Amino acid sequence: MKPLLVIKDLHASIGGKEILKGVNLVINEGEVHAIMGPNGAGKSTLSAVLTGNPAYEVTSGEVYLRGQNLLTMEPEVRARAGVFLSFQYPVEIPGVSMTNFMRTALNEKRAYEGKEPLSAKEFLALMREKKRMLELPDKLNNRSVNEGFSGGEKKKNEIFQMAMLEPCLAILDETDSGLDIDALRIVAEGVNKLKTPQNASIVITHYQRLLDYIVPDFVHVLADGKIVKTGDKTLALELEEKGYEGF
Amino acid sequence: MRVSKGDIFERVFINEPGVNLLIEQEAGSRVKIVIVNLEISKSRGLEVSNNITISQLGEGCSTEIYALAFLHGSDSVTTETHVTHAVGGGTSVQLIKFVLDDNSRGRFIGDLKIAPDAQQTEAHQTNRNLLLSETAEMRTQPQLEIYADDVKATHGASTGQLDESALFYMQQRGIDKQKARQLLVNAFMKEVLNTIGDERVREQLLNSIDGVVE
Ligand SMILES: Nc1ncnc2c1ncn2[C@@H]1O[C@H](COP(=O)(O)OP(=O)(O)OP(=O)(O)O)[C@@H](O)[C@H]1O
Ligand SMILES: [Mg+2]
Repeated sequence: MKPLLVIKDLHASIGGKEILKGVNLVINEGEVHAIMGPNGAGKSTLSAVLTGNPAYEVTSGEVYLRGQNLLTMEPEVRARAGVFLSFQYPVEIPGVSMTNFMRTALNEKRAYEGKEPLSAKEFLALMREKKRMLELPDKLNNRSVNEGFSGGEKKKNEIFQMAMLEPCLAILDETDSGLDIDALRIVAEGVNKLKTPQNASIVITHYQRLLDYIVPDFVHVLADGKIVKTGDKTLALELEEKGYEGF
Repeated sequence: MRVSKGDIFERVFINEPGVNLLIEQEAGSRVKIVIVNLEISKSRGLEVSNNITISQLGEGCSTEIYALAFLHGSDSVTTETHVTHAVGGGTSVQLIKFVLDDNSRGRFIGDLKIAPDAQQTEAHQTNRNLLLSETAEMRTQPQLEIYADDVKATHGASTGQLDESALFYMQQRGIDKQKARQLLVNAFMKEVLNTIGDERVREQLLNSIDGVVE
């Protein structure tokens, strides 16, 4: 088992307030880790810190992606190295078309990997293929990024982007919230199809339901900025029953 | 100048040192003005003053004014519009945008008048400004005088910075921060450039804005 992501005693704050209070986590290639925990525990903060969101300050600790120091890398370099975040709240970008956005992103990643940019034809074919996988309508291409998308469309669009970029580490921050039952299945199947023995994912969720589809190898409880309990998939069932009382 | 009954006057001004227009519209005439100041070259110290004065003297006229200025260094651009609806049934649309970098100065004076007899007028004035540096400065002075009661009139003015969350979202997808800034600035500017009817001119300008943001 090769470690993909190693987090050591990570502390982070926002606006001077400490949110992460010593997170330790090792994720190996091929693994799916679920993170659950009460509102405000710091789950999204962890995603933000791993992806280099400048609004957050890392006060101490270390993070390595395949042995490389992640914390000193610019956000875009982390992304090109394969860290992908499906945002809890995807951002609307008026005036920037999905096609232009996705093409720029994909070609930046390819350049980082020393590959030639895709031709317009190849790119559009790839878009079509991935969109079909997520049953996204073609018309979304010409629209601005996330602008006017419904809540569910935004979440599908995140996984569509993940399918385009094929990250080695995908962090899904409440991707299931706002999805109807069919969309949940489509998105989960999409995530499962993207699974390889070399990549891994962190699935943040409040509901056991998603984990019926995306079966985790580990379930962690993050409470008050720390991982307070780790178990297998049965822990999620237990939490669903008993809640977070006692953490 | 006077635009006769039912006529159309449409002009695009690109990088003019100043546009001064005094227009009177007769019934049913249409006027569309687009002013673009993009001093893309590195020459600093651009000083421009635009003054557009348009009066709708006949019924059922339409007036459109679109302006975009991208300022660098110590550039300064003032755009003044004076639109008067003297009689009813007319429409006017104004969209004025500034992008300000470095120590540049922008100013918009927008004077919109709807006379007591100008019932059933529809008038919209919008001014949006994007500050790319902390030392750039924008002044906006809208002035609305509405004397008729059966009208639809809106005006809005806002000055802000690039959306940090949008920048981060793009970086999270691997897009270089500088490139992300450029995509956002271009999106902001395109709204005005897309109003240009002549496809060749429009495409040329759209192409030229790639690479403007340093
Ligand atoms: N700008 C800020 N200033 C101060 N506190 C903040 C700021 N942004 C977030 N917080 C706080 O950080 C804490 C952790 O937030 P975070 O979004 O990481 O929680 P979460 O575990 O993802 O919760 P949820 O399940 O509701 O999504 C919360 O208490 C939140 O109020
Ligand atoms: Mg959250």
